Amino acid sequence: MSVLSQLNVIQVSGLTKRVNTLEGSLTILSDINFSVKSGESVAIVGASGSGKSTLLSLLAGLDVASEGEIHLDGEALSTLDEEARARLRADKIGFVFQSFMLVQSLTALENVMLPAELAGDHDAKAQAVELLEKVGLSHRLAHYPSQLSGGEQQRVAIARAFIGSPKILFADEPSANLDRKNGQLIENLLFDLNKQNGTTLVLVTHDEQLAKKCQRIIHIEGGQLEKISEGGAANVG
Amino acid sequence: MWVKLAFKLFSRELRRGELTIIFAAIALAVLTVFSLSAITERISLNLAQKSSDFIASDRRLSSNHAFEPQLLTQANKFGLATAEMLYFDSMLFANDELVLGSVKAITGSYPLRGKITIKDSLTSPAYDVDTGPKAGAIWLSEGLFYALKVKVGDKVELGAGLFNVTKVLVKEPDAPFFSLSGNKRVLLNYADIATTQAVQPGSRVFHRLLFAGNEQQLSEYYTWLKPQLKSNQNWQGIKDRQSPLGNNIVRAERFLLLAGLFGIMLAAVAMAVSAKRYCERQYDPVAMMKTLGGSRKVIRNIFLLHLSLVTVFSIVAGLMVGFVLQTIGADYLATFMGTELPQAGFRPWLLSAFIGLVCALMFSLKPLLDLFDIPPLRVLRRNLGDTLAISRIHIALSMMTIFVLMWIFSGEIMTTLILFASTLLIIAILFAISRLLFAAGRRLGLRPGSSWSLALATLQKRANANAIQLISFALAIKLMLFLVILKNDIIADWQMQVPADAPNMFIINIAKEEVTPIKKFFRDNNIAHEDFYPVFSGRVDAVNGEKFARRVSKQEGEENDKNAKKGVSREPNLTWLASLPEGNEITEGQWFTYGVTGGNDIEVSVFDGWQDVLGLKLGDTITLLVNEQAINAKVTSFRKVDWGTLKPNFVMILSPNMAGKVPVTYFSAAQLHDSDTKAISQLLQRYPTISMIDIKSQIEQAQSIIAQVSLAIGFVLSIVLVSGALVLISQVQASLAERMEEMVILRTLGAKGRLIKLATLYEFMLLGGIAGLVAALVSDIALLVIQQQLFDVAGRLHPYIWLLGPLSGALFVSSIGYFMVAHTMRQNTQGLLRKLG
Ligand SMILES: Nc1ncnc2c1ncn2[C@@H]1O[C@H](COP(=O)(O)OP(=O)(O)OP(=O)(O)O)[C@@H](O)[C@H]1O
Ligand SMILES: [Mg+2]
Repeated sequence: MSVLSQLNVIQVSGLTKRVNTLEGSLTILSDINFSVKSGESVAIVGASGSGKSTLLSLLAGLDVASEGEIHLDGEALSTLDEEARARLRADKIGFVFQSFMLVQSLTALENVMLPAELAGDHDAKAQAVELLEKVGLSHRLAHYPSQLSGGEQQRVAIARAFIGSPKILFADEPSANLDRKNGQLIENLLFDLNKQNGTTLVLVTHDEQLAKKCQRIIHIEGGQLEKISEGGAANVG
Repeated sequence: MWVKLAFKLFSRELRRGELTIIFAAIALAVLTVFSLSAITERISLNLAQKSSDFIASDRRLSSNHAFEPQLLTQANKFGLATAEMLYFDSMLFANDELVLGSVKAITGSYPLRGKITIKDSLTSPAYDVDTGPKAGAIWLSEGLFYALKVKVGDKVELGAGLFNVTKVLVKEPDAPFFSLSGNKRVLLNYADIATTQAVQPGSRVFHRLLFAGNEQQLSEYYTWLKPQLKSNQNWQGIKDRQSPLGNNIVRAERFLLLAGLFGIMLAAVAMAVSAKRYCERQYDPVAMMKTLGGSRKVIRNIFLLHLSLVTVFSIVAGLMVGFVLQTIGADYLATFMGTELPQAGFRPWLLSAFIGLVCALMFSLKPLLDLFDIPPLRVLRRNLGDTLAISRIHIALSMMTIFVLMWIFSGEIMTTLILFASTLLIIAILFAISRLLFAAGRRLGLRPGSSWSLALATLQKRANANAIQLISFALAIKLMLFLVILKNDIIADWQMQVPADAPNMFIINIAKEEVTPIKKFFRDNNIAHEDFYPVFSGRVDAVNGEKFARRVSKQEGEENDKNAKKGVSREPNLTWLASLPEGNEITEGQWFTYGVTGGNDIEVSVFDGWQDVLGLKLGDTITLLVNEQAINAKVTSFRKVDWGTLKPNFVMILSPNMAGKVPVTYFSAAQLHDSDTKAISQLLQRYPTISMIDIKSQIEQAQSIIAQVSLAIGFVLSIVLVSGALVLISQVQASLAERMEEMVILRTLGAKGRLIKLATLYEFMLLGGIAGLVAALVSDIALLVIQQQLFDVAGRLHPYIWLLGPLSGALFVSSIGYFMVAHTMRQNTQGLLRKLG
């Protein structure tokens, strides 16, 4: 294993995604190449329908590429089956989604503990409580998602994303469903926790302001990588 | 590790009510099957016991020759209780009066089932005893007391023996329902047969062995006995008797069976729909868990554990509720019937638990497999995995399961097939209707904003889901309608068989010259009576010159046994008549014309039930042995005979040119009231040779059994109706849950609660009405087939349900829908939005 790939926690080469539709094969992504270093924060931006979510789903191993290869922390995703990819996600990846995706029948605390429990880790409670404290929800531990506001639900989702100290965090438009104020709160939380934990952050967004908070910005246009620019945070970090 | 999570999720789902419908559906299936099969079993055990009383045993073997002694010893070896019986005619003599009596000699164990009713003197009250007269004593029926001018305590000569008359014989359990033996009956101890010297080689006697025991012992014995049965030996159980009871028991059993099947179908539909719905609601959590790294195995384990927990809980709950229900029901029935119902065995427990298990497994199998296959990508692409059409595999699997369940439960492929086919028909019709209707509605282009247009728009938008709902509504309505009508028909039919003004006394053995004076006597005393029929008895000896073998037993299901030789060893009562009796119907051939006008060849009209038994066709020649005289008669017609009526019915009716060829007596039936007692004594004293058979007790017994069975049927029907209502309610609830989102959006957009409520009301009214109409039509057609195939009654259409179906469907479905929506609308919009999650 080269030093480069050790540093590059995500390495994407020649990534292409095609889907079969009624009108024939449709290429959603073609020949995408980039890499993300450990601890780096990267934003993926582009117009609606340009393929951002598709890219994210491939990176997280939720879907499989048609061509090309993705290495996550040194492991080639194409060599893993669905079970192995699930295990990889359990070990190394955290998620935050636009629609918060909490399990309705579990409390805030239980939702946060869910990834750890699925991975068979029973001592996650202390860490979960601590994370919920950090997102300012220590008084809502036993509340169900339906009893929380959108912003609060997203904060639970963020706490959940950081449980088990993942190496990489994927976020798909985490603040798009929230008002300005709450959106900002969420974004700040995300970046703070990211910094504290030394996590690699890959963030999909429409929001130029948000993108600028990342170290690098990957621009996608019509399924192709248009350019990679430096974000505002590059100077700082 | 996953276990803890699984239990946590389970308890939450339980609390959130997500599992309630599945739980209710399985429990419903279990409790329906349990309570129905337990009650059915208890009732039919009771009926079988009661009916066994009618032959004083569970099975009997009859012959006109003595039985080999090992038949009895072997029966005792199999653990059966036995009794012996011998019928013969003998002269009785007392006070210079000589009278022919029909004697029944019995061993001490007679009757094995039922009781003998006797009186201490002609005027004292009747009571029941368990055994017959001791050696040296005889019991005489009332008619003989008059004919011999004796009283209790006198001595009477019977054949060569002298006997003490100790009791008045009122009734034996197996007194012939209709025979020529009449009321000159004598009950004698078996040990005294020799004393009478009345039975000599060559005398006409009739032997019977009676057996009682459990079904297993009986069938083991029959297996042993069958190969050695002779052609003159006739094995019979209660089902072999052609009596109103035998037929009614079979009908009642069939009804209960059908009701049980419907209960299963209803619960199965509820289960199939709710399992699918539950799994669909788990799509998001499962996709989420997969995204968060949950492995397939963990997810599978979690949901399989849920399924097992639900299954176990609901089976236990179903059994418990079912047990309570059937206990209450059986107690109620028992107090009404004035008897104790025997306990049901293990079968209902095992059967219902098994059916619950199969329901749980089969109906959730496909939805669960789909659930395990939900791609994690769904967290990003929300509609991924949403199955728009229900999977064909799920439908096929569910249908197959329902079919197999019905088959297991009924053990009858024919019934199952008819019901299943009519159900498929409903589904097909409804699918076509919903397609047409929803397509047509689209073109109507109703004014927007009105409740009706909103209702129609909603119906169209959800065409697929609605089709499914329509089908489940219609199924539930169909099953309920079906049972209601069937019940009404069966009970009406029974009541017709035993009308309140039925004759309750048969008068037989009337000499030709007595006919006119007796008619006059009836007229003078204002007694209603039937025609006087000439009667004689004869044995069917041969058809087209070919003699017969042993008769098969219906009790042992031998009618379908191709190897059993067919034949009859019965001596039917015969008559000649110029016109077809009331209630009979020619099925083939023509009623006599030639014989009536005085030709020489004798014709015969045969009961169509004997057509197959004897292998007869029109034009065959039957040889009848009447008093050793052979009479040849040509078959010119077959008749349907309703043996359910308590009227004189004849297997064979000969053409009127029989008159004068054989000695006959005349027969009639009269309706006698308690106030006529004096007239009866007068009649018996004036014409001592005639006999009267009191069938009042038989009529009362038949009526009481009909009442019991009607009640049982009503009870079972109400269970099925409750199940049906539950299915409808759960369906409406499910469909409302699916509509929540829309309602909330409409509400949020400012639609008035009234508009939404009315729209829902109309929508459900349409759904319920259409479902009800189709259900009515299809159940009427299915009924036509079922009544003919299973209940042996002429099927007919019931136009009133074509109105009842849609009306009740619309009313019921829409009112449930309305109340549920009204309830929802009381919550504020914010709360509703939250609930959607
Ligand atoms: N399974 C599929 N079948 C057909 N088309 C697909 C499929 N998946 C994605 N697409 C198409 O690929 C394109 C990219 O989709 P994607 O969701 O990645 O866009 P996006 O950049 O995330 O857009 P947005 O900013 O609106 O979320 C879209 O045009 C979408 O319609
Ligand atoms: Mg997207």
